[in-house]
Amino acid sequence: MLRSIKPKGRVIALFLCIPVVWYVFSVFVPLITALFYSLFEWKGGPNKTFIGLENYISLIKDGTFWEAFSHNIYLVLVCIVGQVGIAFVFVLIVNSRLTKLKGIHRTFGFFPSTISAVCIGFIWMMIYDYKRGILNWILEVTGHADKVKVWLNEPSMVMALVAIPLVWQFIGYYMVILLSAIASVDTEIFEVAELDGANAFQRAIYIVLPLIKNTLLVCITLCVAGNMKAFDHIYTMTEGGPGTSSMVMAMYGYKVSFAQMNMGYGSAISVGIFIVSLIVIGGSQKLVNWLMRDKGVE
Amino acid sequence: MAQMEKIKGSRTPAQKAKTGALSFFLNLLMLVFSLSCIFPLVWMFYSSLKTKRVFNADIMGLPKEPTLSNYQKILTNADYHIGQSMWASVRTTVISILFIALFGFIVGYILSRIKFKGNRLLYVMFLMGMLIPVHSLLVPIYIVFNKTGLGNQWFTLIIPYVAFGLPMAVFLVEGYIKGIPVELEEAAAIDGSSFTRTLFSIILPVAKPILVTIAIIQVFSCWNEFSFALVLIKDVRLQTVPLAMTMFKGQFASDYPKIMSAMLTTMAPVVILYFVFSKQIIKGMVAGAVKG
Repeated sequence: MLRSIKPKGRVIALFLCIPVVWYVFSVFVPLITALFYSLFEWKGGPNKTFIGLENYISLIKDGTFWEAFSHNIYLVLVCIVGQVGIAFVFVLIVNSRLTKLKGIHRTFGFFPSTISAVCIGFIWMMIYDYKRGILNWILEVTGHADKVKVWLNEPSMVMALVAIPLVWQFIGYYMVILLSAIASVDTEIFEVAELDGANAFQRAIYIVLPLIKNTLLVCITLCVAGNMKAFDHIYTMTEGGPGTSSMVMAMYGYKVSFAQMNMGYGSAISVGIFIVSLIVIGGSQKLVNWLMRDKGVE
Repeated sequence: MAQMEKIKGSRTPAQKAKTGALSFFLNLLMLVFSLSCIFPLVWMFYSSLKTKRVFNADIMGLPKEPTLSNYQKILTNADYHIGQSMWASVRTTVISILFIALFGFIVGYILSRIKFKGNRLLYVMFLMGMLIPVHSLLVPIYIVFNKTGLGNQWFTLIIPYVAFGLPMAVFLVEGYIKGIPVELEEAAAIDGSSFTRTLFSIILPVAKPILVTIAIIQVFSCWNEFSFALVLIKDVRLQTVPLAMTMFKGQFASDYPKIMSAMLTTMAPVVILYFVFSKQIIKGMVAGAVKG
């Protein structure tokens, strides 16, 4: 804080007013608007009827919303294991003396996370395609022609199939974040542990893990938050289908609001997404903190 | 270290073979992963040089008679509006970044250095911006923009992009300014420099590295942003790149080489940027993710 200098309050207010108004207008005004319209039956036209909490009561009973929510949770779990978990293993591998081309792994691995979700979605649609897809091509070449199918039309598999691109896209991202956390640790600590006879697994659990605990927590939070808002990939690949088998919350809110023009209920869903996401993100942080409580080396 | 060498030296041939096999396996695993990350780019590139017929006959083979006809088609046919959407994306991205950096710099500086009533309140407000699940604003922001007539304009997307990019920028700047000695501004003040002048001609150059980091992070998030563009833009001429790409889905879904050439064209700016400055970009993104 500056103590000796006291700029005029007017100057400060002048500097702050535009950014603050801009920010409040785009973040808080829509939130309050959503709260307001969620109390109405409103199809986007000039007429709306006040119906109190009815939208919220329907939301609680809405099976599709909770199915979408469970898909979000599924993505969160798959991606924590798939993205952060695999990234952690890769970090151990890349960090070991046995591995070469570390720079290449870093640059190439990080690359998919800089590409738009729409492009990633397109690429994987091409991989899953029935007639011209790489997956079916591999199956045919390896002599499993009977397993060939229209992949994204399988309700039981579609969630796993849309989760794979997500996992693939961000492994490198988390790998690089974790690598930079390990880079700040003195390498001597690993050598000493090796001399003391700790095997690779023990070193990973008892030395690496506690040292990068905070970064790991950041990664998990990013991962949870990122998957609660899953939308772009799903929109490109399946639009929530077949039926509702790959529906996620944001997709459902979008469909109700824009395909059915049910803006009142769409607003209620938005508020629902807001609350549910905050609970999940906050809860996951508490949980991870609690799980890691006695692994620290403070 | 000497001790380490001794241990390595005393390994039996069997152990050496085991280490060698392990090393081979680990390197192979990482190589497969790295190549899988870059493979779609390579595959799309050489496939985009094929015609639709050649591609459908053999999806993996290299093109025997490479042709640029796909690129010619997508660039000359106005229906695909590739050029237009790229211009819309460039414009939106550049203006958004300038505003994010400027606002982030001003607000971050004031929050970290100036004591005034409401400083903490403002701090918490921007902190909330980091925690709020932004995607829940998708429908509400559409309603607000529709009511106020801000939707579907050339500047529409700049508004949410700046607002959503601001919290991270504010905290990155705030943290950075804390590490700069206060004496810098005090000396300037003694020399008679006004607050505004000190801010822009003394602090701004010092804060340049963090502003570059912010710009790097935002280039990618603005260029790739899809959901808000989808909701807020109805006019085809105003579509940004990701939105324009979804048009390909229905119309030309069967012509993969053409879609690939369109994807590569619209990806080109960020791909080139990434591979030229990958070190700085990775560093910037990591800083943003961890500190933000």
